[in-house]
Amino acid sequence: MFKRLLPVLLIVCSCVTGHSQGKLSIENVHAAYLRNSGTIMENNQIKGYFFLYQSDKIDRQTNEYTLQILDQNINKVIDIKFEDSKQLSLLEAAYNNSSLAFLFKNNDNKTLDLKIYSIDGKLKYTYSRGFDIRTDELMKRYQTLHTDEGTNQNIFDLGERGYASGYPVRDGKQVSYEVDFYSSQTRKMWTYVPVEDEEKYANAEYLGSTDSLIILQVLKKNRKLSKKVAPQIVAINFVTRKKAFEIDGENDEYILLPSSVINLREQGKILLMGNYYDKGDKVLNDYSQGIASYEINSKGVVLSKKYNSWTGDFASYLPTNQKGKIESIGYLYIHKLIQSNGKLFVVGEGYKRQASAGGIALTALGMLAGANTSAGVTKIVVTDLVMMEFSSEYKITNATIYNKTNNTALGGPASDYGSQHMLAAYLKSTGSFDYEFTTGDADNSNFTVCYSDFVRNAEYKGQTFNSIRYNGEKFVTDKIELKSKASRMIVLPAKTGSVMIVEYFKKTKKLELRIEKLG
Amino acid sequence: MSLLKSVTQCLLCVCLITYAVAVSAQSEVYKLGGTDAGALQSLSDKHENVFKQTIAALPDEHKKDLLQLYKARWDNARQKFEKKEIYTAPAPSAYLSELIKEIVSNNPVLSRLPLSCYYSRSGNPNASYIGEGIILINMGLFTRLENESQVAFVICHEIAHQYLKHSEKTIADYVARINSKEVQEELKTIKNSKYRRSQPLEELTNSLTFDTRRHVRQNEAEADSLAVEFLKHTRFDPAEVIATLKILDKIDSDTISTNECLKKLFNSERYPFQQKWISKEEGLLGGHAKLQSDEFEDSLKTHPDCKLRISKLEPVINKLNGGSKNVIDAGRFRHYTQLFRYEVVEYAYSAGNYGRSLYYTLELLQRMPSDPYLIANIGRVLNGIFYAQKDHHLNNHVDLPAPAYPSHYNEILQFIQNLYLENIASINFHFLERYQDKLKEYPPFMEAYRTSIQIAEK
Repeated sequence: MFKRLLPVLLIVCSCVTGHSQGKLSIENVHAAYLRNSGTIMENNQIKGYFFLYQSDKIDRQTNEYTLQILDQNINKVIDIKFEDSKQLSLLEAAYNNSSLAFLFKNNDNKTLDLKIYSIDGKLKYTYSRGFDIRTDELMKRYQTLHTDEGTNQNIFDLGERGYASGYPVRDGKQVSYEVDFYSSQTRKMWTYVPVEDEEKYANAEYLGSTDSLIILQVLKKNRKLSKKVAPQIVAINFVTRKKAFEIDGENDEYILLPSSVINLREQGKILLMGNYYDKGDKVLNDYSQGIASYEINSKGVVLSKKYNSWTGDFASYLPTNQKGKIESIGYLYIHKLIQSNGKLFVVGEGYKRQASAGGIALTALGMLAGANTSAGVTKIVVTDLVMMEFSSEYKITNATIYNKTNNTALGGPASDYGSQHMLAAYLKSTGSFDYEFTTGDADNSNFTVCYSDFVRNAEYKGQTFNSIRYNGEKFVTDKIELKSKASRMIVLPAKTGSVMIVEYFKKTKKLELRIEKLG
Repeated sequence: MSLLKSVTQCLLCVCLITYAVAVSAQSEVYKLGGTDAGALQSLSDKHENVFKQTIAALPDEHKKDLLQLYKARWDNARQKFEKKEIYTAPAPSAYLSELIKEIVSNNPVLSRLPLSCYYSRSGNPNASYIGEGIILINMGLFTRLENESQVAFVICHEIAHQYLKHSEKTIADYVARINSKEVQEELKTIKNSKYRRSQPLEELTNSLTFDTRRHVRQNEAEADSLAVEFLKHTRFDPAEVIATLKILDKIDSDTISTNECLKKLFNSERYPFQQKWISKEEGLLGGHAKLQSDEFEDSLKTHPDCKLRISKLEPVINKLNGGSKNVIDAGRFRHYTQLFRYEVVEYAYSAGNYGRSLYYTLELLQRMPSDPYLIANIGRVLNGIFYAQKDHHLNNHVDLPAPAYPSHYNEILQFIQNLYLENIASINFHFLERYQDKLKEYPPFMEAYRTSIQIAEK
């Protein structure tokens, strides 16, 4: 994950204390600046943290950097020192049990450099690829402050073999995607280019991987502004370097738009889950019919299909209408699928359009003044969190709404337009949902879903961090009030059952990290 | 009287030694946590006066730097009084004074040394001279020693540090070094250079640290030699110096198999022990981070290796006449050794260090498997852990597993990390439930038990 944790910080070396006025001490000669920080993940579990410091200037163009690696208990594992361009930033990190991978952006060379280190901190391989107008979209993604799940965006570990990175590319008017594979065993890198795709616009999202497959959701259309989108599931075999299969669902009764994938514990099976639409519907604009689950094998054969409709199946547990809208919650965005104890849990979050009192007033004032502009009469709010429970046959068996404040996610004229799906995509890409991340045991026998909220009541007004934990039998909730003496306090993912609380004290330029177990 | 009765009832099936210790630990001879706030304040005031006199006598040159370091030294000492780490119970303190008297009265050079020796309730096996005339012998070390001669050697070693003014010389040397023309010019050069500052700065830091640590190591060797000189004039046995160093050499080695203890202790019929409670996290590098050791790190060690210390002292010791292992009172020594094991548990708990308190309890339970105090302490520690976790402050009460800790301590930290709230509640309730008939008249047990019921009911 990459998260622009805090503003650039000045970390003062405190090896030597004591100095008099006018005299020099090591403290007032040395300073290190924190450039980037983030989590190191393996199999969706937090294994550690990285902190990239600018520790020295080498010449006009070059800096010395220190990459500090901490384990999940924030013990220092290793410091890696290296020299590189002044224009360097660390985008992401990943770990695959035998190596650490760091993706750097070098603005001088205009390259993305993936450096793979052995676990004793020795540089094994550096893979570079240029970034230019073709990969502009990828750079834009990294500029957003929030990342999906607070974890990795583009670099994913593929077990002992190495790492993969999927990203959009643009060639003239053609928009497509590519997937890079980086070996951590030998110096080997290759790129999957989808040559056979005929459509001009194809967008790919990484859904997950198995021991040999990278699974992508690909949305294709033939015109940029076309509302007719053909969704596909594409699996790339990173051992054979070929496309293993694709599922386009052309002959299906419904269209599936999967948003999550998990490897089922049964060998070789994969579960895809997401909204489904009637054949002929425009998936970007029309309302979904419900949520579908497809079980497929490693050859892409669909083994089973299960549909849960809003009006039928969900209506028993949630007050839904035929547009898939849940009363008071709005539409549901699926964040996460979790397989636990033979059940499937699905985490959704509501979002809806709401009249904006301020927007209406401003627009009215503008009209009175003869202005032709609108301040936006609606706003988009993110509403409650919904935990849904499915049987082993993927039929909904329960749903619980966890109330939170309707927090404004999007205002202004943009909120008056766009389909529900486009809005959801926008909310997700900008980190406007309150859902934060999910952590759990390796077998998910215990898992915790975390989200933020803003509370206004008699006892407390401010940001809160909340968790819903499944303990194998039932759900328990917990809340941390995020008001402290620190200038800024944030909560980051940590090992199972815990969170990392980061507090920054502006006055003393002090950064405090602590791992705290959830209640 | 009722407490004595209940404890007696509970321990009928326990051997006589266990009985005697538990009773004495809880009754007339000894009161756990026996620190007197008034006495502590008065001692703190006394030493603060020493501090004020010391800083008033500091030379003008680099006074600000010196003052800063002396102030930091006193702040550290003062906190030990404030946090009730210093132990003031009259009888054990009087015993310590008798040990000191044997040393001082037989070494006239020490007669004018302003010397105040106290027990520290810390479980850390250490002793130290912390400035302002204060010597601390930690209960965590006292309980590991086998006789009075070994305690006397440890005290002589710390007196030697005080007598030779090691702390003051180290401060003076350090301040002189950082203010020296050589270091200041080097720092100026580094500051004026626009590029490549970190390497020369690192080299300078290493050099300063290395020099300081080297002096400290030399100080240790000097203190050892002088301690033997002090000891040989007393009735204590100098041969116990070598035995002490051999104990220190193995002081960090595992004394218990923590995981096995946890399995035995927290397995109940209605809430069986789960292996996942003690499973080690698979973090970066396949587990806990490991400390990297290199040549430079070894050279930074403040204490010389115990084997090296033995080889230096052995020829001198071998020439000396023997003495008595115990000079003052072997019975009281054994008694306090035993009692201090409880005090360490109590202090860790009262200082809010639940992880340590649980660990020391487990260690002691291996000797005293049915001890009411220890059983009750497990109850209140787990209750404390429950509430701390619930309120998101567990971090203040329990360390996270770390490579610097011995594996047996890390195992207990990992155990705590692996537990969810409902696990803690159930483990504690089922553990205490086993003893409710035996200990129902022991108030600390009943308090812990009642709280565990309230927690479990929630």
